[in-house]
Amino acid sequence: MIDIKKLIEQANELSPLPASTVRLARLVSSPESDLNDVAELIEFDQGLTVKLLRAANSSANASATRISNVKEAVGRLGTAQVMALAMAASTRPFLQSRIHNYGPGEPNLWRHSVAAAVAAEVAPHFCRVPVPPETLTTALLHDIGKLVMSRFLNPEILNFIKSAQEVDHLGEREAESLLLSVDHAELGGLIAQHWELPERVVQGITHHHNPEKSEDVICAFTYMANQIAKRIEAGLDGRRLNLLIPDDILEQVGLTKSSLDNYCPIAASRFEQLRKRYDAV
Amino acid sequence: MNVPDFDFICSFIRQEAAIVLERGKEYLVESRLQTLARKESIASIDVLIQQVRTAPKGPLARKVVDAMTTNETSFFRDIHPFETLKKTILPELIAKRGTDKQFNIWCGAASTGQEIYSMLMLINEHLPELLTWNFKFVATDLCQDVLAKSKLGRYNQLEVNRGLPAAMLVKYFTRTGSDWEVREDLRRRVDFKEMNLVKDWLPLPQLDIVMLRNVLIYFDVESKKAILAKIRRLLRPGGYLFLGGAETTFNVDDAFERVMFDKTTCYRVKKG
Repeated sequence: MIDIKKLIEQANELSPLPASTVRLARLVSSPESDLNDVAELIEFDQGLTVKLLRAANSSANASATRISNVKEAVGRLGTAQVMALAMAASTRPFLQSRIHNYGPGEPNLWRHSVAAAVAAEVAPHFCRVPVPPETLTTALLHDIGKLVMSRFLNPEILNFIKSAQEVDHLGEREAESLLLSVDHAELGGLIAQHWELPERVVQGITHHHNPEKSEDVICAFTYMANQIAKRIEAGLDGRRLNLLIPDDILEQVGLTKSSLDNYCPIAASRFEQLRKRYDAV
Repeated sequence: MNVPDFDFICSFIRQEAAIVLERGKEYLVESRLQTLARKESIASIDVLIQQVRTAPKGPLARKVVDAMTTNETSFFRDIHPFETLKKTILPELIAKRGTDKQFNIWCGAASTGQEIYSMLMLINEHLPELLTWNFKFVATDLCQDVLAKSKLGRYNQLEVNRGLPAAMLVKYFTRTGSDWEVREDLRRRVDFKEMNLVKDWLPLPQLDIVMLRNVLIYFDVESKKAILAKIRRLLRPGGYLFLGGAETTFNVDDAFERVMFDKTTCYRVKKG
């Protein structure tokens, strides 16, 4: 139905990420690195230094003390947020591309990606299980595969996918997989590989719809961030969306149903503050 | 797609491959046949179906059957069966078969070959002494295209990303352009054959392990019964049958007993 070879070629033809972003991603993923290593790397990147200081001093992170150096900024924001901001700056042109073929709502990939990153950023306040530092990045990039996939979709294929979802009650990923032999999540993982991002990021993106396929908890966190992002977006569009996160995922991330009820509104209100930060990168 | 055409395809596929397609699956039939029609430069699905009606034993009809089979597979799919094979079943069978040193594995719906190559890599990695025995790996499938791909053992990046550990990719595959190819010594070990599970079977050796995962789910009950009866006769005493997670022998062939190992369910012929 679609030419998988061409699909892979197009994924591998996306422009590479800046070397400093890839190095930063690897550094944050490495258990041997610390805050000083991250700060040192950023100091060599003038553009990122400016963005980081702006983010650290933004109203979303309001504090009495003004931050004027990178090390303090990294300390205030944390390495996970720093990596996500760098990643957002580098991937924004991709995530803001118009995705016309993915059905209603999907053109706004940037908004959905930022909402997922915000959901991941808020997670440590509600989840009893430690949130892997790469989660903000996997949340931000989880749907990157749609960027390439959309170029291969047409109204006819979309109709088949819609029928598979309606008739066989398949999820978006399962329907794509059944009809196209590939789904946007694994295509996203392929793009992350092409960008030479850490394996954990590749895994989180690849399995954001089927975290049970991986033993890494980052997949469950990315799944959750995606679901909460959908809820945030529904709220923005004046819709109500019931959040259905399976019990085993809640258990994996250390979240109870009652804490989930508190998590969603706080993530939604935090989104309004933090999206400015992401929009400004 | 009109109702008579859909009904014809359902009945044709059921007859040729015992695959059950019900109303509501029009989208699936249409999507698969449209791809085939384009590939064969046939103007429309209507024309394609007309040609199959005229020549139901012809090459195009064969391609329709191939197109309607589901070939979803991956390396080390569902992982737990492979863990159980490595830790429990293969060591147990090696101890039992140590006298005649004969060992045979059959993948009954090999698809594009990932399952049989996963078995080979697992054995090579953890129980290499087995490869010095009189050992047969047989992989069969009814679809010619996927069988050809299995024999070639060439996979794209997406396919190797599905379940294959990086260390095994590096050890057992060589890069061929943007694809990855299974090492020749591994490929040579497998006997790939075309076989339709619901038609006459080719001669198969007595079997120690049968992999038939996520296949029976597509068949009607009579076909399931016939297939399981044939497997029962081919399994050596103590041999194991692996089915998919949603499949069972229960109420289909009760000569099998269910055996549980941690998260893996498999089946053995009951004693006596």
